[in-house]
Amino acid sequence: MKIRIIFIVVVVLALLAGVPWYGSASIVQFGIDALLTATLAQGWNLIGGYAGYPSFGNSVFYGLGTYGTAIAMAQFGLPFWAGLVVGGILAVLCALLLGIPILRLRGPYFAIATLGLAAAMGAVIANLGIAGRNNGLILPLFRGDALFYELALGLLALTTLMIYLVSESRFGAGLIAIRENEDAAAVMGVNTTLYKVMALALSGFVSALAGGIHAYWITFIDPGSAFDATLNVKMVIMAVFGGPGTVLGPIIGAFLLSAISEVLAAKISTVAGLFFGGVIVLAVVFMPKGLIDVGYGVRRLGLSYFVQNIRQNRL
Amino acid sequence: MSAVLLEIAGLVAGYGEAPVLSDVGLRVDRGEIVTLVGSNGAGKTTLLRAISRTVNAAGTLRFDGHDLSHLTPERVFDLGLVQVPEGRQLFDRMSVEDNLRMGAYRRRDRQGVAQSFDYVYRLFPRLKERRRQIAGSMSGGEQQMCAIGRALMAAPKLLVVDEMSLGLAPVVVDQLLAVLSEVRSQGVTVLLVEQDVFAAFEIADRGYVMETGRIIREGAVAELAEDAEVRRAYLGV
Repeated sequence: MKIRIIFIVVVVLALLAGVPWYGSASIVQFGIDALLTATLAQGWNLIGGYAGYPSFGNSVFYGLGTYGTAIAMAQFGLPFWAGLVVGGILAVLCALLLGIPILRLRGPYFAIATLGLAAAMGAVIANLGIAGRNNGLILPLFRGDALFYELALGLLALTTLMIYLVSESRFGAGLIAIRENEDAAAVMGVNTTLYKVMALALSGFVSALAGGIHAYWITFIDPGSAFDATLNVKMVIMAVFGGPGTVLGPIIGAFLLSAISEVLAAKISTVAGLFFGGVIVLAVVFMPKGLIDVGYGVRRLGLSYFVQNIRQNRL
Repeated sequence: MSAVLLEIAGLVAGYGEAPVLSDVGLRVDRGEIVTLVGSNGAGKTTLLRAISRTVNAAGTLRFDGHDLSHLTPERVFDLGLVQVPEGRQLFDRMSVEDNLRMGAYRRRDRQGVAQSFDYVYRLFPRLKERRRQIAGSMSGGEQQMCAIGRALMAAPKLLVVDEMSLGLAPVVVDQLLAVLSEVRSQGVTVLLVEQDVFAAFEIADRGYVMETGRIIREGAVAELAEDAEVRRAYLGV
């Protein structure tokens, strides 16, 4: 069983890694975008899916990653990898500093507090000279979509591996306990503050790396695009659509929704948003645990799986 | 090894500016069942929070030879001071077995954990029958069994049970009390915090009566049950 799973993972990875050789340029570009968004969804999965803290501040970490990389490269002439390190460190510091006070809040209060962060951080950056204020920064041009594609794929693979290891670990069990009943977790000796902050920091770190890769790829960043709250909404939707708190759910959600929105935007751009929104509403009503749970649920209960979900939603 | 397991003296604690406990003293010896009774708002829960180090307190706080006053809640837990919290606080969407497993969260001895599973299932055969069931779907009594079982999975030295009888039928409370007696006979000391004085006095050796943040009476339960003040206030006779 285990060997079969490893075999499947290797084959899928090899197929994905080969895309720049047999895919068209536009498919590679779509791939970079989808892989980076999937990484963001996967990063959100850790704090939102496993620990149950619906963060709307992950776009801040993404933004810090883009700016860390951009400042290091454009202002100090440092190499790309150093930029990634700078961005990653900035995001982790931010997660530690903000996480300790904000993670004391629960449920909607936590979500609202984090929601304010993206706007505030964007305003801070827009007034920093070193960050190019409102004009943004231009990074050195590097043409090589294939390389960016492989980088994004590697990051997603490592992030997913990390999520898998966490899900199998004591740390992961602690996060799930926090999600299910934080008071009980504390009574059972889980150091809830430490775990939540660690989850946020890890989540911020991978988001920042995705931001750094995206910045170098797109070569131009400004506060509006780097600290975009809708990006955060996208992460949440993708993770929830695919299956929050699962290892593969957020990836499936991200790929599927990226593909749907790409096709829709090309064919019928005006009603695309409407259709997209509709899909999400239906998904949340009929499969609140995400796509990944549907296969299992339908096999167990048949179509009454959907009825049960509606009942649990108390509609 | 000293006979005293938990020793509290001159304890002052509260939230913000408002002191809740003043000069509280309490002692639990190894192998005892001690009960702490008092009405709503007497400060029982605050005292438990001070013991588990989730609220700051000044005064003497010693457990099993360790000074607790500077330890984190996790360290206190590691020393073997484990709570069955008020309202049970189960992981409602998890199975009974997973709830029990969470009790052993900080233990690393696989064999010991397996033994604790056997022990808990022998103590509560009902939990064994229902080990795959979702904890939140069980009856109140079964949930309380699960909460006690979960705490026992941590291999405690002192089991602190907070408001066990709340909302349970008297017959279920009697069953649970019998289990606590059995747990004690196997070497686990019990501190039972209760509003239901009748229930608590049935199995306890000694008792403390708390009122507005102070201990107003202490002694063997037989004496307390005869005490005119206690009878008037709590036994309604």
